[in-house]
Amino acid sequence: MSRFKKVLLNLALLIGIALGGGLASAWYMIEAGSRLSTRSFGPWVTWPSAGRPEADPYTRAHVARNAELPLSSTAELTFRAKTDNRGAWLTSGCDYAVVMEEFDPVWWDLAVYDLQGRLAPNAADRHAFNSSTVMRDIDGRTVITVARDARPGNWLPSGRGNRVVLVLTIQDANMANAIHTGASPRSMPEIVRTGCR
Amino acid sequence: MPVKEISLDALRQRLPQLLSHGQRQLAKLPFRFRESQLGATITRWVSWRMVAAAVLLGGIVHIGATFIAALSATGQAYRQLADRLPPNSMTVLPLQAPGRQILPFLPPDMLYAMCRYDLSGGSVAVSAGVLDAGWALSLHTPDGRNLYVLPGQPQRRVDVSFVIVPTGPDAPPPPRRESPADTQIASPTLDGVAILRAPIRGLAWMAETEAVLRTARCTPVN
Repeated sequence: MSRFKKVLLNLALLIGIALGGGLASAWYMIEAGSRLSTRSFGPWVTWPSAGRPEADPYTRAHVARNAELPLSSTAELTFRAKTDNRGAWLTSGCDYAVVMEEFDPVWWDLAVYDLQGRLAPNAADRHAFNSSTVMRDIDGRTVITVARDARPGNWLPSGRGNRVVLVLTIQDANMANAIHTGASPRSMPEIVRTGCR
Repeated sequence: MPVKEISLDALRQRLPQLLSHGQRQLAKLPFRFRESQLGATITRWVSWRMVAAAVLLGGIVHIGATFIAALSATGQAYRQLADRLPPNSMTVLPLQAPGRQILPFLPPDMLYAMCRYDLSGGSVAVSAGVLDAGWALSLHTPDGRNLYVLPGQPQRRVDVSFVIVPTGPDAPPPPRRESPADTQIASPTLDGVAILRAPIRGLAWMAETEAVLRTARCTPVN
């Protein structure tokens, strides 16, 4: 191999690793997050510094890119789930049961969106449940069914797109403070796939 | 999934076994990198100094891209809101629906009253009632920082009023306090957005909730 080819090979490698690796890793850290900037509880992921003045650069970039105006995590936390409890992507082609047991924050809200944060049109015109509007079982347990077609009980339509995201907002200063200081919540909702078509 | 603890001694004892297992797995690969012509060429001609430099440069690109992403997208949410909100006036926005969202990922089962405050002409007074759990009154800078938040308490109405005052060398002088009890909130930016959020408990409560939001005020202080 000539010296020219050697220089070309090295240059290609330099550009490939520097640009490809640098940009891809930055994109991953901003979009998906890592343990540096996020906390995960099963499929639920939160950015605990979002909205705070001392937020790290990844959190700031995440908030800015997603056009969000988050409340400080001392008051409220927002969790996103893109997978079910077994790690499979959430899609509108499958039905899911979001099971809340011993989950008792002061107030919560569960909404379904597509990956870009858009609401899915549906005949029921329903896009979310919160702790005031959901129906509970007599034992205090709550089950929300996320499905494309109507289901009995708390039915949250997932639309006719492809991948979906569940967003859980919790307003509870004690829980938010505990999570912010490194503790784990007593219980988080489980996302169980009940079937696919 | 249960996590099995493993001690360092146990790992040390199993190391030869693990290495020979790894070699067996590598031998199964159809393409044996070191013996191939391409592999030999690359190992001979690639300067490992260049690889180290590329990794270093990749780190710089990573840091640069992160900061550029944060700065270039700064105010994206604010810009979307600024187009539909008159300055220094509380506006109750219609209920969100597909294609009519205020911002992406904003909880849809809530009513929102928003005020784009502009402190270039002086301070702005905000007053609102926060009725119940799920309600929240918050202030945000254009880059998404949350300056102030008052979360609702279960079944306890809290009426709050405060004055947002500009800070910094270019800021106009703060207003004289009407009383020592006046709360002043210092804003590091001359503009931002105040958001009053009210969860919808059901259709029967919509009008009542909207009426409370309409009592919220956001006015310049003379």
